[in-house]
Amino acid sequence: MASIEAPVLATPTTLSGRIVRALSRSPLHIVLIGVALLWTLPTIGLAITSFRPRSDILSTGWWHAFGDLGSLTGHNYSLVLHSAGMGQAFLNSLYITIPATLLPLVLGSLAAFAFAWIPFPFRDGVFLLIVALMIVPIQMALVPLLKLFNDWQLNKPHLGIDQLGFVGIWFAHTAFGLPLAIFLLRNFFITLPKDLVEAARIDGASNFEIFRRIVIPLSVPALASYGIFQFLWVWNDLLMALVLIGDPHRQPMTVKITTLLSTYGVEFHLLAAAAFLLMIVPLIVFFSLQRYFVQGLLAGSVKT
Amino acid sequence: MKRRKSLIASAVAIAVLTAGLTATAISAKPAKKHAGTIEVLSLWGGSEKDAFIKVTDAFTKKTGIKVNYTTARDFVPVIRTRLAAGNPPEVAIIPRPGVLADLARQGAVKNLATMGLSSGYIRARYSPAWVKLGTVDGKTYGVAAKANSKSVIWYRPDVFKSLKLKPATTWAQLLAVTKKLKAKGKTPWAQGAKDSWTLTDWFENVYARTAGPAKYQRLFAGKLSFSDASVSSALRTMLQILQNKYLAGGVQGALGTGFVDGIGQVFGKSPKANMYMEGGFVGGIALDQVNTALRPGKTIDSFPWPTIKPAYGHPLVGGGDLAAAFTDNADVRSFLKYISSSEAGTIWVSTGAIVSPNRQVKGGAYPNSLVRKEAKQVASAKVFLFDGSDLLPGSLGDDWGSTLQGILQSPGSMKSKLSSFQAKAKKAFSGG
Amino acid sequence: MSTDPLSASLPRAPAHAPRLSGGKGRETLQGLIFAGPALAVLGLFLVYPAVQTIRLAFYRGFGFKFEHYLGLQNFKDLLTSDPDFLDRSHFPPTGAVVNNLKWLVIYTLACLVFGLALAVLTVRVRYEPVVKSMIFVPMAISATAVGVIWLFVYSPDPSIGLINAVIHGIGGSPISFLGRPDTLNYAIIFAYVWASTGFAMVVLSAALKGIPTEIIEAARVDGAGEWAIFRRVMLPMLSLPISVVTVWLLINVIKVFDIIYVMAGPGGGINGGARVIAFNMYTEALVNGRWGYGASIATFMFIVLLPFMILSVTRFRSSRVIA
Repeated sequence: MASIEAPVLATPTTLSGRIVRALSRSPLHIVLIGVALLWTLPTIGLAITSFRPRSDILSTGWWHAFGDLGSLTGHNYSLVLHSAGMGQAFLNSLYITIPATLLPLVLGSLAAFAFAWIPFPFRDGVFLLIVALMIVPIQMALVPLLKLFNDWQLNKPHLGIDQLGFVGIWFAHTAFGLPLAIFLLRNFFITLPKDLVEAARIDGASNFEIFRRIVIPLSVPALASYGIFQFLWVWNDLLMALVLIGDPHRQPMTVKITTLLSTYGVEFHLLAAAAFLLMIVPLIVFFSLQRYFVQGLLAGSVKT
Repeated sequence: MKRRKSLIASAVAIAVLTAGLTATAISAKPAKKHAGTIEVLSLWGGSEKDAFIKVTDAFTKKTGIKVNYTTARDFVPVIRTRLAAGNPPEVAIIPRPGVLADLARQGAVKNLATMGLSSGYIRARYSPAWVKLGTVDGKTYGVAAKANSKSVIWYRPDVFKSLKLKPATTWAQLLAVTKKLKAKGKTPWAQGAKDSWTLTDWFENVYARTAGPAKYQRLFAGKLSFSDASVSSALRTMLQILQNKYLAGGVQGALGTGFVDGIGQVFGKSPKANMYMEGGFVGGIALDQVNTALRPGKTIDSFPWPTIKPAYGHPLVGGGDLAAAFTDNADVRSFLKYISSSEAGTIWVSTGAIVSPNRQVKGGAYPNSLVRKEAKQVASAKVFLFDGSDLLPGSLGDDWGSTLQGILQSPGSMKSKLSSFQAKAKKAFSGG
Repeated sequence: MSTDPLSASLPRAPAHAPRLSGGKGRETLQGLIFAGPALAVLGLFLVYPAVQTIRLAFYRGFGFKFEHYLGLQNFKDLLTSDPDFLDRSHFPPTGAVVNNLKWLVIYTLACLVFGLALAVLTVRVRYEPVVKSMIFVPMAISATAVGVIWLFVYSPDPSIGLINAVIHGIGGSPISFLGRPDTLNYAIIFAYVWASTGFAMVVLSAALKGIPTEIIEAARVDGAGEWAIFRRVMLPMLSLPISVVTVWLLINVIKVFDIIYVMAGPGGGINGGARVIAFNMYTEALVNGRWGYGASIATFMFIVLLPFMILSVTRFRSSRVIA
């Protein structure tokens, strides 16, 4: 694990280093702040657009709003939020995303442990195959999946529990998320200190104990970083939900938003507000897990 | 070492695959639908959806049959996927007769005559042109649910008045108006050509007026080549207006402008152009979305597409959606009967969202002058031609749009572009 | 193999880890217990659809039905008589494959270079987390919304499009980025680079911080300049994280579809000039209902990418050897 906290390049000790640093200091700030601002500009534009009346959006660019701050309104947001079924759709998004993030995390970390630490037969071959599965295009998989769902009733409520109607899409997202999970986590797990694992084995610890007591606590960053990716992916998914969830009462926000848009008109005011509403939850997840995220993606590639 | 590993990999691959296949072999019975509920799939959202829900609510009140309305903006991919998986909705309202024809030939949709909608019943409500759109190989598979006109040119009456211009009734007049606007330092036209279907609509209107309805029907049915001289001649006519000096932002600007943005260039708060060619629905979008300060008749108005060759007169190019059934049961039968009734049509048109192709729907049911004008145009058209690009099979309509964009961009390459498009069309029409 | 000065002190791979009592049979069982659930889900919900797709590639397959076996005909048509896929009738060739190659080179390189530059530069400032968050935020926006945002940015109308407003402001004439065949592709690629660079930056920055200070200090003491340190010390040590990022970007490139569909429209823009392989697959299978042909495109994607995947995995395996 990285234990070096100090900035690597903070104190050059050679003369040339100091000169370079002094010379580069202010251009560095200008470049960095400039790039960061430029990079954020489209998002800021979207944010301001989401507060503008629909007729303004089609007449002038978002920066014109600065000259007429009084024109800004929360109306677009209230249109999206108060449209019939949006609250339910928000809950549905959570019902879909949370299990579809946790499942591949659990199954993926168990499998990754096996691929990293249990030398069972055909291990590397299976691993290679799983990595190759990352290429499978969702569009082609939809038909076999939907057949499977119909045959096995995977998109109908069971046992009187409505949320069990999501079982199919949980597994579909899990299957599409697992290759990346196993790929990243396995590469993280094999870099864990071998001495620790072997010492535990000599003490008679079972594989499951090693997994639970050593591998998982040491891998929280990697798990968190994968979790954010899967969360973003599932949360923003439109295609799978559109095709695999038939019942309008179980559709997530992404699908619900498309039902607000008419055939010919492009309702940018609704799209902008909806895009921002959609971003809120993933950004909360991102910022609350950010520090893990930054360390976690060292995953198997750099050894510390 | 390497070879051994790849061997292992393939062995494992086979093992996992067999696991997957055996697992799926044990499949249960297909899902049963709830009795008393039908699913209706279409592409409408927003206010169009709200209007349709009003229609289905009245149906539920009357019959007790619930309607689950589902929206798919990308209608064709969703219906294809669900059909392939054996999970279609009970009813779909299909925006493209070309797609309906595909589905009918594949045996996916039901013959309406066997579902209690006799040809006499349909003929009493729809004109022959509409009946024909829902008919494939002599059998009727779809009833028209809504219609719209695409033979409309929108303009700014205020600008026209100040320059003493009049709405054109012939192509020569339209060119004259265009030139005069240009001479007065105004940009005559805007065009949302980034959405390529706006170009296919342009072409269809010109073609119907220069080559005539008969050739039009044959062209979009795959019976006449796109390399035919009539096509390039219509395109050259069209390019008399769609050229750099008459378009806001020039040709390239138009190609980078979307359909709604184009409306904004004519009817927005800071207008840059003065005429816009697109369907009757432009009025609603302009008034509701682009500029609420617009006044019909003062700052926004429309005139019918002018004639080009007097012999062909004013053929109407329009679009529409056809209701078709994937399942035959009592609920679906009563829904189809309802949706083709004047009762449903009257509720529907009163929302201002559509024009009904049902001739039993009275003109007074329409809520405002812009829709009434469109309804009158649809009802009084002597020749009704369905939007040609929507008659083309599969993605060919989109390909046609991209081809027209290419021709607009470099007119010199027209001949080669048309011949390579014809090669595609031939393949698509032969079912390749 | 090991030129890495740190290799001696790093943890070794568990490839030859001491076996648990009970031997091979027990390990197989344990392996199955741990990997089994994941393999079962993968087998049913991913391998099964993938196998169906590959099988279908050898059929005419209207309506996803295995009727009328064609052998390799679909692949033959794809490579020889489908100008949307690959048009070799003129030079340079055009079509979805060529566009995907453009994507491959420009998108992958741009994300890597921007990501690496930002990672190296942000390490030097105190407001690093702020800059990194600002660059990362677009990752949270769905591909469709990214497309819509950039439709606005690129608008040829100077009162709506940000870039053209600037061009107009400095006296230039507006450029219709999405209305010109020569800029269309690059405009879409850049929009996607905007959305993905944050990921590359975050991964590479994390990796940079993993480089022990002593190595860099030692190089400085030896009188190496900043550029030399970057090239001779940092870059070699970053080669593995760069390959993680590259694999991820590669998969993005081969799967890219939504953003092109939103920005260029269902026909793929002027003359279909923005189409890529996944776009053609979507159109053929889901719009035209030619599932068999679409499946052959998907299978083609799979076959082309497979060597890269194997390479990347063996690359990761070699990382264990170094370790």
